[in-house]
Amino acid sequence: MRIAVVGSGYVGLVAGACFADIGHEVILVDNDRQKVAALTQGQVPIHEKFLPELLERHRGHRLTFSGDLHAAVEASDAVFIAVGTPSTERGDADLSYVESVARGISGAINRYKVVVEKSTVPVYTSEWIRKIILRNAAAPDSFDVASNPEFMREGTAVSDFFYTDRIVIGADSERCTAMLREIYAPLTDGSYYQRPDAIPRPDRAQIPPPMVVTSTKSAELLKHACNAFLAMKISFINAVASVCELVGADVHQVCLGIGTDSRIGSRFLNPGIGYGGSCFPKDLRAFRAVAREHGYEFRLLDEVMLINEDQRRRFLHKVHSALWTLRGKRLAVLGLAFKGGTDDIRESPAILVTQMLLQEGCQVAAYDPAAKERAREVFGSAVEFADNPYDAARGADCHRWTQSL
Amino acid sequence: MKLSVIGAGYVGLTTAACLAQIGHDVFCSESDVEKLAKLQSGIMPFFEPNLEDVIKGVCNAGRLTFGSTEEAIAWGTVIFICVGTPPLANGDADLSSIENAARTIAKRASGYRLVIEKSTVPVQTGSQLRKYLAANRTNGLKYDVASNPEFLREGSSVEDFLHPERIVVGVDSPSAEEILREIYQPVISQSFTCPIHPNCAKRNEPVFLVTDTGSAELIKHASNSFLAMKISFINMVANLCETVGADVTKVAQGMGLDSRIGPSFLNPGIGFGGFCFPKDVQAFIRIAEKAGCDFALLREVEKINQGRIGHLVEKVRNELWVIRGKKIAVWGLAFKPNTDDVRFAPSIALIESLLSEGAKVSAYDPEAMDKAKAVLPNITYCSDPYKAAEGTEAIVVVTEWDEFRRIAWTRIKSVIERPLIIDGRNMLDAKVVADQGFQYVSVGRPSVIPAEARSAEREGPVLAAQDQTAGAMAD
Repeated sequence: MRIAVVGSGYVGLVAGACFADIGHEVILVDNDRQKVAALTQGQVPIHEKFLPELLERHRGHRLTFSGDLHAAVEASDAVFIAVGTPSTERGDADLSYVESVARGISGAINRYKVVVEKSTVPVYTSEWIRKIILRNAAAPDSFDVASNPEFMREGTAVSDFFYTDRIVIGADSERCTAMLREIYAPLTDGSYYQRPDAIPRPDRAQIPPPMVVTSTKSAELLKHACNAFLAMKISFINAVASVCELVGADVHQVCLGIGTDSRIGSRFLNPGIGYGGSCFPKDLRAFRAVAREHGYEFRLLDEVMLINEDQRRRFLHKVHSALWTLRGKRLAVLGLAFKGGTDDIRESPAILVTQMLLQEGCQVAAYDPAAKERAREVFGSAVEFADNPYDAARGADCHRWTQSL
Repeated sequence: MKLSVIGAGYVGLTTAACLAQIGHDVFCSESDVEKLAKLQSGIMPFFEPNLEDVIKGVCNAGRLTFGSTEEAIAWGTVIFICVGTPPLANGDADLSSIENAARTIAKRASGYRLVIEKSTVPVQTGSQLRKYLAANRTNGLKYDVASNPEFLREGSSVEDFLHPERIVVGVDSPSAEEILREIYQPVISQSFTCPIHPNCAKRNEPVFLVTDTGSAELIKHASNSFLAMKISFINMVANLCETVGADVTKVAQGMGLDSRIGPSFLNPGIGFGGFCFPKDVQAFIRIAEKAGCDFALLREVEKINQGRIGHLVEKVRNELWVIRGKKIAVWGLAFKPNTDDVRFAPSIALIESLLSEGAKVSAYDPEAMDKAKAVLPNITYCSDPYKAAEGTEAIVVVTEWDEFRRIAWTRIKSVIERPLIIDGRNMLDAKVVADQGFQYVSVGRPSVIPAEARSAEREGPVLAAQDQTAGAMAD
């Protein structure tokens, strides 16, 4: 099938490369000409396992890059919207990119097309996309809007695409559902996994993945609910860790004890400095905003966020109680990315803690195997960047590890 | 091994019976004289699947005896304390029964005793027990104290004891660990004769987790609190689904397939009840509070749960308009299926709320009616679900008893005043009941209106529109 993926950020790039790998003709569209040029020349803008291989395999054949949304949509049967949906100041998702893409799509509907939201968006976004396309004079039966949330994790995004726990399709017509089923057929019928060049299967993966078919609204809600739940799991165990510290119990033993309950599961039960990254904090805020818009105060989520913020304060407090005063002390920070295996530092607890340490007047020498360059954009010369953990630790009063989630 | 169990409640009786089943010689004590007499003459004090058969078997084999606490303490070198720890008015667990047991042990026992807390107790109860025994012991008593939290679920407690996922022991000495490992060896290796399924395939061997006492104590609170939180979370998502017109069943399915989340405890409904969850959540909040930590997350979990009854009553009100004087059937009283336990059951608060608005309630539950009569004297108890539905304007489904899935709906239709089902557990098949002409209202899903009513609606006044979905997309 011919697929246009709009937005060559993290989600779009990975999804585009993976769609090409399961046999589709993919045009990856971005309005940033420089980015398009760089991708065309073979650059890989993000650190992600297997992505360079897939780009190499399909670039110029089944995967092309373009700055022309109109032409890409005209040439395609399905259009995946994978543009960013950052948080606004109020905490809800900023959908202006989604809206402008929808507008761009509306003028290019030359035959039946499915428009699919791949970005994480609040419930009702699909209806807005539909309205906007209709308003721009597309015929109502010439397109459908569907939701197909991604469940990729940075660091293992490519593996997660092929070896996902489930594929979720939110569609409100038979025709649209059938088209999405067809797109994912190489995964759901298992044929992809027979190929000798398939991306290798991780240990726990079940194949073929199950498919959940539901309404667009339920699919939209599902993604937020999943991330909010996982963030809650992290905050829960962090709160339990605080109780353990206070009563003298061992949180790791407690984690083992509750994680062996299959109704709970051991994953996401690692206490630490709190969650970060480009998804959890943003999705949590967005989910709360969605609830609020519909008249619900989802205070459970407020508490999840409060615990998460508190983890950083508690961490700093630990540094204080170990070192007494901080001004002028030299500290090594090991790890800057929001988790291991990625160079993403968006809302990384490590960055926030480093900022706090700098404010306290510490000298910081930092090391991260992947995120050094990105962190340099934030800190400039305020932080000394070391090439290995030993250099960072040289002469330090204390160092810290970022817990990877 | 000769083992003693103090307390013959759910936990104590199951523990005693199953320990005997796996080959130990067990003495179980009960301080309530009447209850003890019943047990000694073979009468079960409560309903629990398979327990009666197991008890009969081990009593006949002479491996389980009932008697007084004093006798129990003289019997075994290992003493499981399984007495009740109900919450006090301030939310703390009432530990006086544990102290009573400890007092008797300190006074009566001599030689070595391993004292094991099996009841759910707040963290540091183990160290308190240790201090208490040190200060009050006589007869040169030597002792260890261990924590061995139970993870039994009412309705499947025998199965849970014999085929657990994990056995947690909190110990502070190698000898205590060794004794506990020996006691549980048949369960750890799954080598005992299973009384439930005589030919059952060998099950997975459970994890035997050894921790310090404090951590073991916290594990129980943390596990139950987490599960309660999972329920409250999905209930909140259900509310949101109702407002935006999404289907919580699908949302839960998609969430549950995520291996980091898992499908259990993602069923929306009228909230968690029973004797454990509300109590354990409350206790965990208190424990944290006393340690100087405000576990506000769990307070929200409680609040969401407390709002569930009102939410369901609101659904009833939405459909029936005025509740006063109307006859309503309530199916299910136990806090969950396969038990007769109505302690902190949502049914109680729901029925009380309906009664306070002037409804006439007729109820049916396959097991829990006797226990409910003591708490809810002013409702009509019926011998089957059909009698309960007679002449009523709505059926409210409260407990997920399997028999409600096998109802002859045409029979109900012929006796009911208005074909309306409000399913607080999302347990019925919406299509089946709608095909039989019932309007079906559930949790977190659009309500289903039967075909005949849908056609009438176009002509006449609005019958039962899902008014919650409209208006959210004002352009």
